[in-house]
Amino acid sequence: MAAERRRGDAWSIDWRLVAVAFVVVAVALHLSPPLVAFAIIEVLIFALYASALNLLLSYSGMVSFGHAVYFGLGAYGLAITIAKFGWPIWAGIVAGPLVSAFFGLVYGALCVQLTAIYAAMLTLACAEITFAVVFQWFDFTGGDSGISGHVPAMLGLSPAWFGIVVLVVVTLCILALWRVVHAPLGLTIRAVGENPVRAAAMGHGRKRVQLAAFVISAFLSGVAGTLYGIFHGNVFPEYVGVLFTIDGLVMVLLGGLYSFGAGIYGAIVYKLLDNVMAHYFEYWQLVIGVILVLVVLVSPAGIAGLVARVVELVRGRVRGSET
Amino acid sequence: MLIVQILQGLMEGVFLFLIASGLTLIFGVSRIVNFAHGSFYMLGAFFTYQVHPWIAAGTPGGFFTSILVCGVLVAVVGLAFEFFFLRRVYHAEELMQLVLTLAAVLIIRDLTKFFWGLDDVTVALPDDLSGAVIIGDMFLPTYQLAMVTVGVLVLVALWAVLKFTRAGIVLRAATDDRGMVALLGINQAHVFTAVFTVGSFLAGIAGGFAAAFESVNYLLDARVIVLAFIVVVIGGLGSLYGALFAALGVGVVKSLGLLWAPRLSMVIIFLLMAVVLLFRSLRRTGE
Repeated sequence: MAAERRRGDAWSIDWRLVAVAFVVVAVALHLSPPLVAFAIIEVLIFALYASALNLLLSYSGMVSFGHAVYFGLGAYGLAITIAKFGWPIWAGIVAGPLVSAFFGLVYGALCVQLTAIYAAMLTLACAEITFAVVFQWFDFTGGDSGISGHVPAMLGLSPAWFGIVVLVVVTLCILALWRVVHAPLGLTIRAVGENPVRAAAMGHGRKRVQLAAFVISAFLSGVAGTLYGIFHGNVFPEYVGVLFTIDGLVMVLLGGLYSFGAGIYGAIVYKLLDNVMAHYFEYWQLVIGVILVLVVLVSPAGIAGLVARVVELVRGRVRGSET
Repeated sequence: MLIVQILQGLMEGVFLFLIASGLTLIFGVSRIVNFAHGSFYMLGAFFTYQVHPWIAAGTPGGFFTSILVCGVLVAVVGLAFEFFFLRRVYHAEELMQLVLTLAAVLIIRDLTKFFWGLDDVTVALPDDLSGAVIIGDMFLPTYQLAMVTVGVLVLVALWAVLKFTRAGIVLRAATDDRGMVALLGINQAHVFTAVFTVGSFLAGIAGGFAAAFESVNYLLDARVIVLAFIVVVIGGLGSLYGALFAALGVGVVKSLGLLWAPRLSMVIIFLLMAVVLLFRSLRRTGE
């Protein structure tokens, strides 16, 4: 239980919170001008991507230096099955995340053979090789000009309604991720992440469990990438490139390691800084760097830790007024 | 042609070793995965660009002195970073150290953009260094020969320090077993600080040398840190001699890759790393 409290999670889903968040975002999507709606959609997609990465970082004891591959291959799965194989759009949408999961399975099976920084470097190697192939195999992936025109951007919907679609998918995926983290499989993943030797003594082999976590993470990243591909109606090699990987990592670290909400909080703050501050201040990455230093030195639990503290405070006060 | 290319690769390998040696020393002693190493390298390059016109400009002596001075400057930056920030997270989880070094990368990159802008800057070589030595039909740039000499000098110096001095003994002991070194009454914090400073110095002079043949801009850090990590990982983290052989190997592979498959040369290096890593893990489980 102590560990549970440290992570700031509760066992059950707080449905009121989910409902309130859902309604607030849905209303915001409809009330705001298109540019703001685009920003919200972007935050939602990256919240899912960062949450998927967070499953590895916070729970499974693995670090991925190449997660953009699973994000980007979702968008490529969508584009290639439709544009090159002539599949219908719905089939492409289904195929996107599955392509990511497949590569997660293959690369993950290699990476779990190693541990710690060696495993992380292997994820980087897989990512760089994939990027090089995507970038140079012009006939199949469109090379550096990517693929576009395979789906109408946002499926032809208005920003508000496409936003609702994204909101529903992202909410479902994050709820599913919550179930995974708190189900027996999730407990096993955490056990392996915290103490592989002890977990092995209880019959949970590190490699198998970590591979499961890797595939789940890759699949959900692929969902995020597929959404991103539909959102823009195109796909470019950058989607599998190192910048998207670093974005995801920074979001999770900003949000706060070892908490479930890290990806969500991180995506909100990071994209807010990216969209708002970049207009006024060219050196916003410096601000991110300073925030990261503060996170480490002042609040290692990141934004999630701060949020948890505020919630505690408010709850304490409410409880205090009741008695 | 082949021999020239291999020689070229070996020279680049010596240069890679200059960068990777600092990284592997730091990891070996403090277990810190220092992403900021590439940033220190980039600082070395920009400092040299800034300083070299002021120190006997145009002479080889002045040029090398300014690189040395800049190495020291970078070492001071590294020292400050270790002393004020990294030192606080040695006992935290490894990911926290990673966060800090990543933060340093972001901060240093934007500061570089702020001070030197987005465009490439160039450092002109002194005339005496810009020629070439011709042996038979081989054409070896003087500057590269000078760099190889420095690389070998650094290697010999590191070897001598590690082998013969008390500091070297402490350092080797710390790489093997940190706890034991602490039990013997040696202040670990001092060892970490010293190694980090030396490592940053090496990154700084490597950057200084690179300033004269690389296009120096704010993206230099990312280009070099990946290559440095590949070398260190292939050589075995913490192993100085492993890093040497890995650096030479990667240098040759990269150079031959440029000859035969220029578009795939980085892919080949990543494949090399993946194969080495997986092979090593197979052998370990086989034991």
